[in-house]
Amino acid sequence: MKTKRSRARISVAVLVIFAIVAVFTVRLIDIQIVQADELNAQSLSKRSQESVVYGRRGDIVDADGAVLASSVDRYDINVSPRIALARQDVNGSASEALAKIAEVTGQDPAVLLAELMADPDADWANISKGVTLEVFQAVKTLDIPWVYYDVRPSRTYPNGAVGGNLTGFLGTDGPGGGLELSEDTCLASTKGTVTYEKAEDGTGLPGSLVTTKAAQDGGTLRLTINRDLQFYVQQRMAQTYADLGAEWTTAVVMRISDGHLMAVADYPSVDPNNVDGVPNTALGSRAFSWAYEPGSTMKALAAASLLDSGVATQTSTVTAPGQLFLSDGGFIKDSFAHDDMPWTLTGAIVNSSNTGMSLFSKLLSAQTRYDYMIKFGLNSETEVGFIGESEGVVHPADEWDERTNFAVQFGQGMSVTSVQLASIYQTLGNGGVRMPVTLVEGCEMPDGTVTDLPPTDGTQVISDAAATQTVEMLEKVVTEGGASRDLTIPGYRVAAKSGTAEVADSSGGYGDSAVISFAGLAPADNPQYAVVVTAGIPNSMYSSGSIATTFHDVMAQTLTTFRVTPSTEAAPDIPLTW
Amino acid sequence: MSNLAYARPRTLPEPEQQHPRHIEVVATREQRKRRPRVVYAVTTVASLFVIFAAQLLLSIVVSDGAFQISSLQGEQKELLRTQDNLTEKLDLFASTQYLAANAAHLGMVPGANPLFLDLQTGAIAAAPGSVDRPGCGGTCNLVANSLLTGVPLVDATTPAAGSAPGTVASTTPPASLPPATVDALPAPVTH
Repeated sequence: MKTKRSRARISVAVLVIFAIVAVFTVRLIDIQIVQADELNAQSLSKRSQESVVYGRRGDIVDADGAVLASSVDRYDINVSPRIALARQDVNGSASEALAKIAEVTGQDPAVLLAELMADPDADWANISKGVTLEVFQAVKTLDIPWVYYDVRPSRTYPNGAVGGNLTGFLGTDGPGGGLELSEDTCLASTKGTVTYEKAEDGTGLPGSLVTTKAAQDGGTLRLTINRDLQFYVQQRMAQTYADLGAEWTTAVVMRISDGHLMAVADYPSVDPNNVDGVPNTALGSRAFSWAYEPGSTMKALAAASLLDSGVATQTSTVTAPGQLFLSDGGFIKDSFAHDDMPWTLTGAIVNSSNTGMSLFSKLLSAQTRYDYMIKFGLNSETEVGFIGESEGVVHPADEWDERTNFAVQFGQGMSVTSVQLASIYQTLGNGGVRMPVTLVEGCEMPDGTVTDLPPTDGTQVISDAAATQTVEMLEKVVTEGGASRDLTIPGYRVAAKSGTAEVADSSGGYGDSAVISFAGLAPADNPQYAVVVTAGIPNSMYSSGSIATTFHDVMAQTLTTFRVTPSTEAAPDIPLTW
Repeated sequence: MSNLAYARPRTLPEPEQQHPRHIEVVATREQRKRRPRVVYAVTTVASLFVIFAAQLLLSIVVSDGAFQISSLQGEQKELLRTQDNLTEKLDLFASTQYLAANAAHLGMVPGANPLFLDLQTGAIAAAPGSVDRPGCGGTCNLVANSLLTGVPLVDATTPAAGSAPGTVASTTPPASLPPATVDALPAPVTH
C-alpha cells in the first residue's frame, strides 16, 4: 500500500514538472521564435538611434575638369527650447548664450530669442540655416549643451555665371532646370541610414555604428565645354549686349570634327549661386530654347542644297533684280537697292541677294529643299535634349505659299535655334557629315564606370564636294563682302555668313525688332570650329555688320585657345559676276 | 539460506605460516594510473584563471580600441570636412573671374597682339589680334559670380595668406614643374 501511494506521488510530481517545463518551452519558443523579430526591434529601438547619411551629389566639370558645380556641406543650427529654458547651464542664461551664437552667425540676437520662445516646450527649433564650416565650428566651441546640428547638403558654383545657363541650379526642392535637372540620374546621390546604440544622454556608444543602408555618391558629369573659352564668350556677349542695346545675345562655339559644344553663351544669364538676381527669362539657355527666324545665314544651307543636287555650281549665273514681284502684288527685295545684277551663285551669297537666291531656288522642288532642311537637323531637337529646347519650325513644303517658298531660302518663314544653326555650319565644315550635337562627354560614376557616352555616328547630309564648295563661297563673304575689314583674322581663312531678320510680332506681321547674327567657320581650308553669334535687338536700325566684330573676336579667341594651326593655302578665286 | 557450505569439499588445512605476512591493499598499475593527480588540478584551475584574466585584459584593450577608433573616426570626419571646405575655397580662388580680377589687380594685361610664328622661316604665320575689345583685361568683369563678393584680392606687396612673413617658401622655384620644352623649337634667326 505504501509503495503504491509513493508511486502515485512520484507520477504527479513528474507530470507537474513536465507541465511546467512544457509551459516554459512554449513561452520560450514564443519569445525566441514567434515574437523574436518584434521584440528585437522593440529592444533595438530603445537602445539605438537611426540617422540619415547623405551621399555626395556629383560635380559638373568642364572638358578639362574645372569645377562648374560642386556639392558642399552646410550646417543648420538647432536648439532645444525646453532644455534651454529649464536649466541654468554653465554659460549663463539662454539669452546670453544666444547672444554669443548671434555674434558668430552675424544674426540679430532678438530674432534668435524669438525663435527660441516661439514654442518654449518644444525640443527642436531652428535658429540658423545653412551656415559655413567656420561658423559651425565657432558655434560648436561655445559648447552650449542644448544646441545641436544637422548637416545640410548644398550646392556651389565656383565659377558663378560661367556656364550657369547650362548647369542650371539646385533649388530647395531639388534641381531647377539645366543639366542639374536633365542629368539628375547621373548626378543624384542616394541617402543611406546608419544606426548606433545610444548612451543615456543620447550620444552614440563607440563601436555600435551599423550601416543599415550605404549612401551612394552621384556621378561626375563631364561637359564638352571649355570653361575659359566659355568665360570669354560670355564676357564678349555681355559687352555686345551693352554695345547694341540688345534684348538678348547668344553665342555657340562648336567643334567641327565631332559636333561637341565648346561654349554656349547667353546674356543675360543666371549666376546659379544667386538665382533671384535675374529675371525668369534668363534662367535657361536661349541658344537652345529660343527659335528665331535666322535670315541670310540660311543661304549657306540653300546653296549647299543646290550644289549637292547638282543643279547649280559656284559659278552658275543669275540676273538678280532689285525687287522680285510676286503674283499677289507683293515683292521680295534685297537689303540694298540695285538694278539687275549679273551675279554668280557665289556673288548672290556674297551680296546676300534675296532675289538672286529666290530665282536659284526654282531649280529645286519645294519638297527637295524641305528634305535638305530636315536632313540638316531642322525641325527637331538636337541630340543634346536640353531642358526647354526648341525644335524650331519648318512648315511642310505643301503648306508653303508663294512668298514662303522663296523666303525659307533666306531664313524667313521658318525658325531655328542658335545651336541648330551652328550644327548646319558644322556639317558644311565636316565634309557634309553632320555629327550629333554633344554637350555631355560622359558621366563618371564613383566606381569608375562611365555612362552617358555621347553618340558618335554622323550622317552624310550632302556630298563632301558640295560642302567644300559651299565653304569656299562663304569664304568670299569674308574676303569680298561688306564686313570684310571686321571679319578678317590675319593668318586664317575664315568663312562666314551674316544674317539680319525681322522678328514677327504678336499681330502676325513684322515689327521693329530684329535678330542679327553671324555664322561661320575657320580655318576654311581645314575647318576646325564653327561659331554662331546672335543678338536680338529692339529696332532694325542695326545691320548684321554691327555684330561682325563680335564674330571676329569669338572666332579669334577660339582659334587662339585651341592653338589652331594657321592656314597655309591661298583661297581659290571664284568670280562673283559674269 | 543455501546449504552451499555443506556441499563445499573439505580442503586440507594449510601448513601454518612461520612468519605471518603483512598484508596491505596495493593499487594495481592501472589503478595508479587512473588516480587524479594534484598537478593536473592545479594546472586546470590556474589556466582557468589565466583565461579569465586574459579575457578581461582583452576586453579592456578592445573597448579601449573602440574608443580610440571612435575618436579617430571623429577626427577623420572633421578632417574630411576641412578638406571639403578647403577644396571649395580652392575652386573659388581658381574661378576665372577671381583669376582675371587678380591678374588685373597685379597689373597684368591680356597679350595685346598674339602672334603665331612660322618656325621654319621665323615669319609671322598668323596674328589673330587682340580680342580684348574694351581693353580693360580682367578689371571689367561682366560675368557675375556672387560668391566673390567681399573676397579680397591678392596683395602684391605682402606674402599670400597662409605663409608667415619672412618665410622663403614662395621664392623657392617649384621643383615639381618640368622644365619648359624648348629644345624641339628652332629659334628664328634674328639680326
